[in-house]
Amino acid sequence: MSKLRNVAIVGFAQAPIVDADPHHTAPEMLYPVVKQALASCGIERKDIDYQCAGSSDYIDGRAFSFSQVLEVMGAWPPVQDSHVEMDAVWAAYLVWVKMQAEECDTAIVAGFGKCSEGSPTHVLNLQLDPFYHASLGLDHISTAALQASAYMAKSGVDDAGLAEVVARNRAAGAANPDTQLRKAASAKDLQGTPFVTKPLREGYLPPIGETATVMVLAVEGKAEKMCDKPVWIQGVDHRIELQTIGSRDLTQSASTRLAARNALEMASVTSAREAQVVELGSATPAEELILRDALGLPSGLGGNGASADGPVVNPSGSPLCGNPLMNTGLLRLAEGFRQLSGRAGERAVAGAKRALVHASAGHCLQQNIVWVLGTERRWT
Amino acid sequence: MNEPPKDRIKYVQTDLHLPYHYYAGDYKALYLNALKDKKILGSKCSKTGKVFVPPVMSSPDAHAPCTEIVELPDKGIVTTFCVVNVPVFGRDLELPYVVASVALDGADISIYGLVQECKAPEVEMGMRVQAVWKPDGERLGEHTDIKYFKPTGETKAPLESFIHRL
Amino acid sequence: MSRAVAVVGVGQTHHNSKLPDVNCAEMVRIAVDKALLDAGLTHEDIDAIVLGKAPDPLEGIMQPEQYLAGALGAHMKPIIRVHTAGSVGCTTALVAATHVASGIYGRVLTVAFEKQSEGNAMWALSPNYAFTPPMVAGAGGFFAPYCRAYIMRSGAPSHIGAVVAANARENAARNEHAHLKDPMTVEDVLASPMLWDPIRLLETCPSSDGAIAIVLANEELAKKGPRKPAWIKAGATFTEPMFVPGRDQVSPLAGRMCAKFVYEKAGIKDPWNEIQVAEFYVPFSWYEPMWLENLGFAPLNEGWKVVDRGDQKMGRHMPVNPSGGVLNTNPIGASGMLRFGEAALQVMGRAGEHQVPNVKNALGHAYGGGAQYFSIAILGTEL
Repeated sequence: MSKLRNVAIVGFAQAPIVDADPHHTAPEMLYPVVKQALASCGIERKDIDYQCAGSSDYIDGRAFSFSQVLEVMGAWPPVQDSHVEMDAVWAAYLVWVKMQAEECDTAIVAGFGKCSEGSPTHVLNLQLDPFYHASLGLDHISTAALQASAYMAKSGVDDAGLAEVVARNRAAGAANPDTQLRKAASAKDLQGTPFVTKPLREGYLPPIGETATVMVLAVEGKAEKMCDKPVWIQGVDHRIELQTIGSRDLTQSASTRLAARNALEMASVTSAREAQVVELGSATPAEELILRDALGLPSGLGGNGASADGPVVNPSGSPLCGNPLMNTGLLRLAEGFRQLSGRAGERAVAGAKRALVHASAGHCLQQNIVWVLGTERRWT
Repeated sequence: MNEPPKDRIKYVQTDLHLPYHYYAGDYKALYLNALKDKKILGSKCSKTGKVFVPPVMSSPDAHAPCTEIVELPDKGIVTTFCVVNVPVFGRDLELPYVVASVALDGADISIYGLVQECKAPEVEMGMRVQAVWKPDGERLGEHTDIKYFKPTGETKAPLESFIHRL
Repeated sequence: MSRAVAVVGVGQTHHNSKLPDVNCAEMVRIAVDKALLDAGLTHEDIDAIVLGKAPDPLEGIMQPEQYLAGALGAHMKPIIRVHTAGSVGCTTALVAATHVASGIYGRVLTVAFEKQSEGNAMWALSPNYAFTPPMVAGAGGFFAPYCRAYIMRSGAPSHIGAVVAANARENAARNEHAHLKDPMTVEDVLASPMLWDPIRLLETCPSSDGAIAIVLANEELAKKGPRKPAWIKAGATFTEPMFVPGRDQVSPLAGRMCAKFVYEKAGIKDPWNEIQVAEFYVPFSWYEPMWLENLGFAPLNEGWKVVDRGDQKMGRHMPVNPSGGVLNTNPIGASGMLRFGEAALQVMGRAGEHQVPNVKNALGHAYGGGAQYFSIAILGTEL
């Protein structure tokens, strides 16, 4: 792979992740976050070349919902802008590609979506093929349950194992002031919660809250002026699989495996184990285990594989502690930024120099993106 | 191999019912509540002093907070309009009807409203209009508390005064 | 763009009010297969896919790239889905071009579609915000007042809109893929009912189903292909908020800035004389004179004179929308990419019956939202 431009994450701000903010509309939630993100980099809106947002009309219950952000992003005089109907982490990807094409040097990425206004259960059913899947009334929990069942049958992981995964994420979340569920929970208590769709218990499923997020990115030469510790993007790749649930092996995440392989290769890193921090966009404990497998990380169950050498997985608590749709992926990338730039407070992983970040979209981990971040520039 | 079915399934009818419960946000809620008292509120940009109706939390052009709330008169001018002959869902409006962009006196952003109590061909760009409200007791804090705008009969405003203020 | 990008293949469906014999995935596949065939390539040659379409409620499928991954040949590939209202098709093509220009992807397939007959398009498009009683049905109700303001400010005679519509239909008759092709005279248009005065029924775009796919490649791969490529000389997307005080809603600043940016990048100083054909987004006839001004092809308030003189007709100075444009084919998500694609076909010399002779430079354009999103590309025979 030929030499690419070094691009860094230089700033990130977010609104608190809450069940519902009754006082602010989605753009009103976003406005102070935009201001905060720009201020944290010591810049003004005019210093930004490009903006890209990630959101979904269906989540927002409005066609053309994304046009609302134009009112709060400081888009005057007119700006160069785009929008993806995807989690904002893919807007960040688009920005990275645009910087590689030398079409911009600085950019802001915004994520928003007031999930409390609609019913994610109803809406996420609509992602599915209308003829064979959606018509069955499958929602995101049922499809995740199918995947969890398949994985448990193959791997032998049991209910206690799932509970353990959630418990350790909840412990991490308790130390993270920026997530939604900030109270630890024991595996026993979690196992005591009722099944929503077997084998997924209520305690194993995250709340789908809402927030607004803004990330600032810049190329080498500008990044250093905007952040004391820019976090460099050393590698990134994303892949999608076929949606048809019966057409793929749900117990593996082949697209994550491929995206990780490509991202690590770009970063000139051999494996995920070389990172000190790994953030996974898993919204169920089974997803986390499947992703760990795909990345060559131990399951961590029953103390398996937990060693001083391995990365700390999900220091943020992962989406299990807060899954504000359309922002969840960007929050994983933000955690990588926070951990590597000394902004992770109490939950900082000491000496972290490299992070592997993953985010997902679609049912049963259909689409996956993997980033390799580092304190050092990749290309010199 | 069997014969294909004579009645082919060609379509799948899916009626979607998606529940949404929208938050107005404090600024819009303030505006809507004030309509009950026949008051039209706007907010002023802390940087430029421009007045936005309905009130906004921040100005799109100056990217500054607009926390000062101001009250506006319920009259202004029609900056532009169209005469509608296509029925709209959810309303029982007699065709043709006029929808206008109304610049209230003192506002830098126009609001939309129906123009009635005159024939459609009588409506002109620049026409001075006055809000007609629902009677006391019937106003609920909704946009329809302003039923429509009616012409005041005053001389219309010259084109230059509003062509850049549509 | 730091690296050269070219269009090496184009494929589109025959657009119509309903394409009932195919479902969404099949419809998209028609365009994709045609584009690959056109480029002399197979799915294996594609490195990434960029999909664009307008609001998901138009078909009732959320994030359709997930459902369509198979149909798009996206399995185990990267896919991005762009959504920027009406401008989306053109913006999507430019995002795809950026992917190639980045040097990371050698060939990118970009697709835009809409199968809006499957949903309730009128409902999805009617401005219907929470707490606000619906004022008008359909996008035309939103734009009509600004067409009126244009007429008032420019002094344009009232028949100009009808002339645009009749001319566009004449063009559409020469485009095998266009939706509406039946002959229509200026008199027919003037006799048609007013929908939102001043916009008449026959001055309004139809609601169409359709898809278009384009293959983009880097310089090395483009030069290897069987076709003469169309080089993307410049492209940009500029956007503005709705509620800026004193905003020019008739000739939005974002559009003017976008055009200026793109001309400068493409080295074009005199668009009216250096561009031989333009495909720009005219969903309501009055937008033709309005965009002629906004895009710098005519001075302020004189766009209608170009139409009055017929300088934008086939065979005249600079044909506008020789494909028939949005007025005759409007699968909303695809329309912007149709402009881009048709401009490419003109440059490649492959526009068949609606080919404009001696094209060196062509412009593709789309707009969306409350005339807030602008997306423009210049394609040319030379890099």
